[in-house]
Amino acid sequence: MTALRQLAWFPVVIAASPACAHSPVPGLEGFYTGMLHPFSTPSQLLVMVGLGLLVGAFAVKSARWLLCGFLVGTFAGLLMGPLIPDIDPIMFALAFAACCLVALIPGRLMLIAIALAITGGYLIGEASIPDEGPTRDRLFTMSGSIVGANVGLLYLFSIVDFVRSRCVWPWVGVAFRVIAAWLGAISLMMLALGSVEPTTL
Amino acid sequence: MTLRATIVFIAIALVFVGMHSPAVAHSGNGYGAGFIGGFTHPILGWDHVAAMVAVGLWGTFLGTPAIWILPVVFPLVMALGAVAGIVGIPVLAVETGIALSAVVLGMMIVFAVKPPLWLAAVIVGVFAIFHGYAHGTELPATASAFAYALGFVVSTGLLHLLGIAFGILVKWPAGRIAVRGAGGLISLVGIAFLTGLG
Repeated sequence: MTALRQLAWFPVVIAASPACAHSPVPGLEGFYTGMLHPFSTPSQLLVMVGLGLLVGAFAVKSARWLLCGFLVGTFAGLLMGPLIPDIDPIMFALAFAACCLVALIPGRLMLIAIALAITGGYLIGEASIPDEGPTRDRLFTMSGSIVGANVGLLYLFSIVDFVRSRCVWPWVGVAFRVIAAWLGAISLMMLALGSVEPTTL
Repeated sequence: MTLRATIVFIAIALVFVGMHSPAVAHSGNGYGAGFIGGFTHPILGWDHVAAMVAVGLWGTFLGTPAIWILPVVFPLVMALGAVAGIVGIPVLAVETGIALSAVVLGMMIVFAVKPPLWLAAVIVGVFAIFHGYAHGTELPATASAFAYALGFVVSTGLLHLLGIAFGILVKWPAGRIAVRGAGGLISLVGIAFLTGLG
């Protein structure tokens, strides 16, 4: 009888449909796509990391203004854009400016840093505007972009701040400045390459 | 494992090794090739290597804050040189400038010259333009520009770091001699390139 009972389960087992552990919530895929978008191209990546280093160079009390500025910028970019036809060169220029500020005078020139954060947010927002499609899908993707860009910047800031506060060796601050100089150099080269001819970015 | 099993195992392994075909994981284009191209470009030219290491060495010799100001200034100004090369702005005597950079920076280390910080930054910056120009004009057309730029900046930075690491020896009297000797060697490499022997 026991054996028969066990056998009775067999059809149920083999009739099982493939497991869909993650049932796709409508629009969620677009949300994730939007979330990753601010880190998907070299120009956006350089802007994000450059701004992360820039914000991380300030104390937490001052950094919140930069983060707020970036948030306002991303909203503005997503809502007002697209206004700039070729956005990549401007992004490389902004990344270069942010990296220069970190490399040469970190944690100073607050107003310029806020302006860079707002402009950077705007550019990231504008670059993240999805192609034409159903409004609902576009809204999901744009929401993802706002979350991805701002949480991403928050994470970058937190990493820099964490390392700076935990590692008290003098060379740690220097290392961030050197990294910023390297990223600034890359941004400037990319700006030049983009202005000369279309390249394989 | 018995001896017989070991022999069989080795024999099978040898057969497999003998039958392998070449791995072609990298097609020669794209990000990987671009990064490797950029990374190896400064390393494969001895004149570049000598000058980059010299920047790190001289920075250590000058002490704080030059130890980090020079490696920060160099890539930024080098990128300006690269822009000149990419855009096509003519820069005269690039190879001479690169060779001269090794000679001058090497001499600075040999004679333990300690100019004001701004002057040291200007000297390094001027030579960085020649190095950047060479990198900018020699960018391979097929490579990913981003990966190439990333590779060559990282490689340059690591060469500076090598110079800084070796330069830390100046803390000890014998190390000071070794560092000054390295400066002399760098100068000789520069002279060799300047005179066409390199």
